[in-house]
Amino acid sequence: MDKENEFEKRVSRRKFFNIAGWTGFCTFLGSSGAAGARFFYPKVLYEPASTFNAGKPEDYTAPTGNEQVVVDERWKKSQRVWIARNREGIYATVALCTHLGCTPNWFPAEVRFKCPCHGSNFNPDGEVVAGPAPEPLYRAKIELAPDGSMIVTTGLLGIRRANLQAQKKTLGTFWTKEEKEIIWKPPYFLELKA
Amino acid sequence: MAVNFNKQNDVSFIPSFFKKISEYIKSTTVWKSIFRVGYPDTMPKRMAVMRSSFYMHIFPTKVGIHGMKLKYGWCMGGITFFLFLLLSITGVILMFYYIPEEHRAYNDMKDLRYMVPYGVVLRNMHRWGAHGMVFTIILHMIRVFYTGSYKPPRQFNWIIGVLLLTITLLLSFTGYLLPWDQLGFWAVTVGTNMASSTPLIGYEGPFSKYLGIQIDNDIRFALIGGTRIGPNALIRAYVWHCIGLPLIATALMVFHFWRVRKDGFSGPM
Repeated sequence: MDKENEFEKRVSRRKFFNIAGWTGFCTFLGSSGAAGARFFYPKVLYEPASTFNAGKPEDYTAPTGNEQVVVDERWKKSQRVWIARNREGIYATVALCTHLGCTPNWFPAEVRFKCPCHGSNFNPDGEVVAGPAPEPLYRAKIELAPDGSMIVTTGLLGIRRANLQAQKKTLGTFWTKEEKEIIWKPPYFLELKA
Repeated sequence: MAVNFNKQNDVSFIPSFFKKISEYIKSTTVWKSIFRVGYPDTMPKRMAVMRSSFYMHIFPTKVGIHGMKLKYGWCMGGITFFLFLLLSITGVILMFYYIPEEHRAYNDMKDLRYMVPYGVVLRNMHRWGAHGMVFTIILHMIRVFYTGSYKPPRQFNWIIGVLLLTITLLLSFTGYLLPWDQLGFWAVTVGTNMASSTPLIGYEGPFSKYLGIQIDNDIRFALIGGTRIGPNALIRAYVWHCIGLPLIATALMVFHFWRVRKDGFSGPM
């Protein structure tokens, strides 16, 4: 028996077309499915810009007397950000509960952020003091523009999360020592001369 | 004296004139083409009625008397199907007034409650019907479990039923966002954020960072069409709620009922 016939015996014409047909059909289904899934991921978003001008640092009242920090809520509704001023400078905290994404409220008398959905409590630094939140509130980038006003970046690239460091395995509800060195320095903290 | 059961000698109070008309109507082609079997006075004829009628053919041709008892089946599957029909009808009517747009949705819902004639009735039928459907489908599942109706040969129908339960819950979830009020908005915020913790395809889930999954390409992004709940999320919830999920539910229901018809009602306990 010559080689050609042997091949034909192993892979008959019927078998070849069977495999080719099913391969084509499955490829069609697979690529249509992938295209259908891709359809649900929009390429253009009409969401609010991730940066905004928060005005001059002087617009924010400094803490007086026993106060350690003054939390300003003027941007909470439109930008979802609190601008907080302490004795050393200004920082921006994202008003997004790290548990499941509700908007916490600021209670100046208790010096705490409290989430209405599941009761997470945060201190002014954003650290979790009670409730189910797994990590501190995110920090937004805050930088000075040439005209002296502050540009706050709240988008994916602007925020600082406690667990962004790849080397850290467990989530912390408090800022670690290494993280503190990052969040209390530019661009997450704007130092003001007293 | 023997009692005569002969129909001819029965005393009838219907005038013979009407009898003649009725006999004529029953002899016409139109009548015969609609009612094909005739008076179902024998078992084969009764089964033929069930087989040949569109409305009856979703039932098995023959059902044991135990299966008809209310205390056995609770009629919960039937009530769930009835509520699905009710929700489809009231939902379509609500669609005439509701616009799924950021600035209109909440006001349209309020208009339905206070301005649209009978709008409050329709909206409440839809709302309470939806709550009821979740309730009855769970009772139906409990009944099926306690009567052992999930056992062979009905295992596959149990799976279809679980899928239908999931679809019902998803319908409930997507419908919750549509009033665009604080309750629905935050419920959907929380609910879709849970999806971001899915392994591999959620940006906060395990192993996802090895696939390069971020907030703008994970499963939550596909669900709400953005990185935050906004107009995209509203229109997606609307389309899934009004078209996508009901179509899937209908297809699964057809299958569910067809299997009930083929397997018959489950036996007595």
